[in-house]
Amino acid sequence: MSNKKTYWKGVAQLENKEFANEIASNEFSEHLPVNDFLKEKKTLEESSTSRRDFLKFMGFTTAAATLAACETPVVKSVPYLIKPDEIIPGVPNFYATTIYDGRDYASVLVKTREGRPIKIEANQSSTSARSQATILSFYDSNRAKEPMFGGKSISWSKLDKQIKQKLSQVKDKKIVLLTASIISETTLDLIKKLSSKYSNFEHIMYDSVAYDALLDANLESFGLRVAPKYHFDKSDVIVSFGADFLGNWLSQDYSKDYVNGRNPKNGKMSRHFQIETNMSLSGANADKRIQIKPSEQAYLISNLYRALIGTDQIDERLKGVYQNLKKSKSSIVVTDSSNKDVQLIVNAINHRLGNYKKTISIDNPCFLKKGKTDDLKLLVNEMNSGNVQVLITNGVNPVYNYENSKKFVSGLNQVETFISCSLYNDETSSLADYLCPLHHNLESWGDANPSLNTYTLMQPTIAPLFDTRQFETNLLSWSGENNDFHKYLKSYWINKGINWNKALHDGYFKFNQSIRTANYRKSNLRNFEKVEVNRLELCLYEKIGLGDGSLANNPWLHELPDPITRTTWDNYVAISASTAREYGLMNKTVANGALNGSLVNLKADDVELKNLPVIIQPGQAKGTIGIALGYGRKKSGKVGDNVGFNAFPLISKKYVDIELAEGEHEFACIQLHHTMMGRDMVKETNLDKYIKNPSSGNYREKYYTYKGKLPSDQVSLYEEHDLETGHFWNLSIDLTSCTGCAECVIACQAENNIPVVGKEEMRKSRDMHWMRIDRYYSSEMTKQSAKKQDISSIKMYAQMEEPSEDPEVVFQPVMCQHCNHAPCENVCPVAATTHSNEGLNQMTYNRCIGTRYCANNCPYKVRRFNWFLYSENDKFDYHMNDDLGKMVLNPDVVVRSRGVIEKCSMCIQKIQALKLEAKKKGETIKDEDAQTVCSSACSTNSIVFGDVTNKESEVYKLRNDDRAYDLLDHLNVRPSVFYQTKVRNKQNA
Amino acid sequence: MHKESRIRDPLIDGNKTFHDITVEVAYPVEGKANKYWWTLFGLSVILMLWGFGCIAYTIGTGIGVWGLNKTINWAWDITNFVWWIGIGHAGTLISAVLLLFRQKWRMAINRSAEAMTIFGVIQAGLFPLIHMGRPWLAYWVFPIPNQYGSLWVNFNSPLLWDVFAISTYLTVSTVFWYIGLIPDFAMIRDRVNEKINPLKKKLYSLLSFGWSGRAKHWQRFEEVSLVLAGLATPLVFSVHSIVSMDFATSVIPGWHTTIFPPYFVLGALFSGFAMVETLLIIVRKVVNMEAYITIKHIEYMNVIILFTGSMVGIAYITELFMAWYSGVEFEQYAFLNRATGPYWWAYASMMTCNVVIPQLYWIYKIRTNIIATFVLSIFVNIGMWFERFVIIVTSLHRDFLPSSWTMFSPTFVDIGIFLGTIGFFFVLFLMYARTFPVVAQAEMKTILKSSGSEFKKIDNEQ
Repeated sequence: MSNKKTYWKGVAQLENKEFANEIASNEFSEHLPVNDFLKEKKTLEESSTSRRDFLKFMGFTTAAATLAACETPVVKSVPYLIKPDEIIPGVPNFYATTIYDGRDYASVLVKTREGRPIKIEANQSSTSARSQATILSFYDSNRAKEPMFGGKSISWSKLDKQIKQKLSQVKDKKIVLLTASIISETTLDLIKKLSSKYSNFEHIMYDSVAYDALLDANLESFGLRVAPKYHFDKSDVIVSFGADFLGNWLSQDYSKDYVNGRNPKNGKMSRHFQIETNMSLSGANADKRIQIKPSEQAYLISNLYRALIGTDQIDERLKGVYQNLKKSKSSIVVTDSSNKDVQLIVNAINHRLGNYKKTISIDNPCFLKKGKTDDLKLLVNEMNSGNVQVLITNGVNPVYNYENSKKFVSGLNQVETFISCSLYNDETSSLADYLCPLHHNLESWGDANPSLNTYTLMQPTIAPLFDTRQFETNLLSWSGENNDFHKYLKSYWINKGINWNKALHDGYFKFNQSIRTANYRKSNLRNFEKVEVNRLELCLYEKIGLGDGSLANNPWLHELPDPITRTTWDNYVAISASTAREYGLMNKTVANGALNGSLVNLKADDVELKNLPVIIQPGQAKGTIGIALGYGRKKSGKVGDNVGFNAFPLISKKYVDIELAEGEHEFACIQLHHTMMGRDMVKETNLDKYIKNPSSGNYREKYYTYKGKLPSDQVSLYEEHDLETGHFWNLSIDLTSCTGCAECVIACQAENNIPVVGKEEMRKSRDMHWMRIDRYYSSEMTKQSAKKQDISSIKMYAQMEEPSEDPEVVFQPVMCQHCNHAPCENVCPVAATTHSNEGLNQMTYNRCIGTRYCANNCPYKVRRFNWFLYSENDKFDYHMNDDLGKMVLNPDVVVRSRGVIEKCSMCIQKIQALKLEAKKKGETIKDEDAQTVCSSACSTNSIVFGDVTNKESEVYKLRNDDRAYDLLDHLNVRPSVFYQTKVRNKQNA
Repeated sequence: MHKESRIRDPLIDGNKTFHDITVEVAYPVEGKANKYWWTLFGLSVILMLWGFGCIAYTIGTGIGVWGLNKTINWAWDITNFVWWIGIGHAGTLISAVLLLFRQKWRMAINRSAEAMTIFGVIQAGLFPLIHMGRPWLAYWVFPIPNQYGSLWVNFNSPLLWDVFAISTYLTVSTVFWYIGLIPDFAMIRDRVNEKINPLKKKLYSLLSFGWSGRAKHWQRFEEVSLVLAGLATPLVFSVHSIVSMDFATSVIPGWHTTIFPPYFVLGALFSGFAMVETLLIIVRKVVNMEAYITIKHIEYMNVIILFTGSMVGIAYITELFMAWYSGVEFEQYAFLNRATGPYWWAYASMMTCNVVIPQLYWIYKIRTNIIATFVLSIFVNIGMWFERFVIIVTSLHRDFLPSSWTMFSPTFVDIGIFLGTIGFFFVLFLMYARTFPVVAQAEMKTILKSSGSEFKKIDNEQ
């Protein structure tokens, strides 16, 4: 049967077949005038669509079609399926939390973008270079990532089960928990719970760099094993015997208080005496620095005490100290001595001077240091005698930082079960049976009690990156409880009546603690007599960057130039020039300007270290050497391994022998020239002169013009920028309050995605830091003395290059000065660097072709060139080449490509965000909101940023201060950055 | 008796006839290359390829493969650039300025000197290009209309002036050179047998632009030469003045100096003549041009070297004086450091090679001795390279803030690129010597004393 069905295409086909057919046969339903058009030759000729045009259209269409067919790159960005309420892409969230790794403590605000933490800022306490840098350690791809048993991965539940079993098996022998100082009440509470659950449980705390002497002395004098609160701001005279309180001493940041007591505006400043061996940050800031050997310290302290009570003549060297202490109404005497008897004398001196009532509050103590090194020593002995069955460590690395590492390791062999809770699979953890990887602070809950009545909270700022757990969760689950530490912490504090949400929001709260306050108890003081030591003496210290070495896998800290030596990626034997000469040691500059140093073999009793590099350190006491701890890690990760050498084995050694070894060491110093060469980059005055004339020391050259003599800023051929309309951003740097702590350098590195270039490149003087802290030593040769002695210029300059062996030190942070008559701007052939109407010198990376003319013509040498591709390049294996490390990058700042110049932008991204915020609110910008990262990181407030068109602003006042001066004023480049003269408080200036 | 004034020595030795000149000039083009040529050429090609390899490595990896650092952002790159540009200057002076002053002796050497100019400028031009961080964007230095908004070059920048100065210089020099070549190409064209070598015939026909030697052609040739000489003369002074402004307009002590334009121009002529001598002493030997490039020519050039060398010496001393007299401590230190600082050896080399050694030309025997001239010309070349190195590196390495002071040492790439440009230069020059008439024979024929002196000689012999 044939199918006769027809399907209509529409009603029209049914109703009017012909019309439908007609339509169907015509492709275009309406009449097209093609024939009319082509028929008439005339119109055709008049038409503007020629054959050429046709080809053009054709060509375009083909090209467009081809282009459209090309594949566009696929960018993996996954949008939120359900967007969390608090996250707005592009808008940062801040979380108040705490950073504490058993050593460095900071209450911080963590800036997160799209759920990932990218920057650490100060909250209740100030931050340090290390706490700023910990953000990078968080994204460290070398962190321990999963629980392990015997080197193989294991699940947490299995691990918990096995550990609980191991713990409950303990009968006669001991379970020992070894931790660093714990400042968390809840953690201590949980440890107590765990200890009650199992028999023979012992908890030992130790600090890698011990403060036992100080704590024990206070225990004896006051009945409290604590460090007191030192009010450096209230003290007229500060005497420090070796305590680097502006550096790492007690892991406390005293610089804010110190600087508050040294504001020349107030007409008075504390006078700071530093009596020390190594050139420390505190020594560099001191008004008077006295070099002593470590062996002389006890005698000098003892002598000072005896002189103060009138039983002895004061030592010649301490005359100034003695007189000032006698005269002053308030003072502080501190020491880093590891001898309890010496600390007791210091307590007696402070008591004698009445300081416990005024400047040192023992009843407001700090709890950051609790360790007992003796306990650790006992533990090691017990381990070796087989008395320890289970050892649990948390966040400590004794195999690296215990002085007798071998003994510890042999003890470990006697321990049946060794459980290590650690961020890294480090020297200690790699020997553990069980490795329990820890959360980073930024992933953890917690609380901290750094000082009396002060509590801060720790909260996660991101979900854990790896299969890790925090220590408290371990404690909970091993004591067989519900392992939700968050709930535990919350209820713990809510039960104590704390407003949890508010405390969490603020990051800190006050809670009254009761302590037994004790009055000063006199103890029997030892008398130390003068001793003659003719051996080379050793003085260990920690660097500002790396500290005790627990953050050794952090390339920012390795690349942070040491504020004193300006050396990166190394520790070394610091020695004075004259002692170096005795041993035939030298430092020399090679053809590309880099520094090479001799090598020595060092021997101290049973410890022998080979081929240690030597650096000649002005200000190092003669007959002594200084060595930094924290280097020479073997299992810290790809960055920190085998950088420098480990000095912890030397920690209790006093005398060493060194001998010249074959070869030379290649240093990576970023400052190879140490003196100011008679120039006045850092202008200086003394307090008494400042009081008489606030602009003393701030001499401004005047130049002959047809209008008479004028200062440089009133002579110009240039057209002025309009700096009255809109904002005019300025930055003031106070050289009196800058201690050189280098925190701003790390903050800048974190904010501005500054790459790490590694030791080789640093050695070639190719550091990428946008801001640096220049350090200058004084020289014995000055222009005045050359004139007096009639020395030729050639000889004078040659001698000026040599820093004094007892130098005065100045620090000067230098970043792009944002010149308003910028030498860099007019030499760029493609106008890639231009001036903004807000007084900023802007760098347009996209436009830069990399002629580097601007960098040559910059008198401050602050422009940095991307010699290589530093991101996504495995030759620069620091963090910008792996996906995890890249998460630390600030999305508001471009990652620069190779071949372009970069430099300080005065945090333009922050300025823009600020302006936008103000605009949305319809308000003007508040002065206190205007901050660069360096200004907000600076704990001493020596960097002040703001808008000078706002006459109320702090920076406007500073601009018009008598101390304000422009660096290289004679060039008349009119920088937007300016400095405040350094005021010292020397006695006989 | 009649008084007979002394007749000047002829500029062409050896009683040449017009035909002799034609044959001898065409000989290297028509004949086969000897083994010296091949050895030299092979060596140059190797150097050139090595240099190109280093350039490729630089562009592929980054400027970091050079020895530069945060303080010294220019070193060998710009030293080489200025050195090569300077070398070029003698060619233009010889062909343009000496033409205007009707110095006939220039005719024997102007062709090669100008070839040297062009090849030198090509080498020089390489450096600003490859010293860029992103050389693939080099076209941004040209004011090309674009649709990126207000993106435009910065006319305040001396580097931009350089772009114009050098491109103008290269263009004018090339045109001038080429105009001079037309009659000579025609000569070769006419000598090529079309049957044996049709391609060569075709090529030289094209190159000679249909030159027929008509009087009208000669008249136009003379006019154009004169006009171009007029155009090129200011360029002799402007190009190196502008190059010097790269330094003079900056703020760096040791760069910021008003004496730089004349100082650089004189230095350029000085080094240019030295290089002309280096080249021509070889060329005259290798392609048998001793009759055309005579001791007289060499002596003249030596006199110019003596003059410019002394002027350069005065400039050096003036700089020192001004530094002292200015009372600016940064300026004073910059010069003190040059002479006594870590780069004293570079300064000493510069002073010795540029100021002391050319003074030997006061001695007649030395300035008319070919071997001595050759050795001395090498010294000047070295000295002038050091001059630029001293200016660039020693000024930068210790400028204002001692915290940033450092030093420079070249890497194998720096050295490789420099040697590569020398190789490239000689490759071009050797190829030129085999394909172009190395002496402007058409012009030479105008100074051939064919009648009077001949008869006089016959008279004398009788």
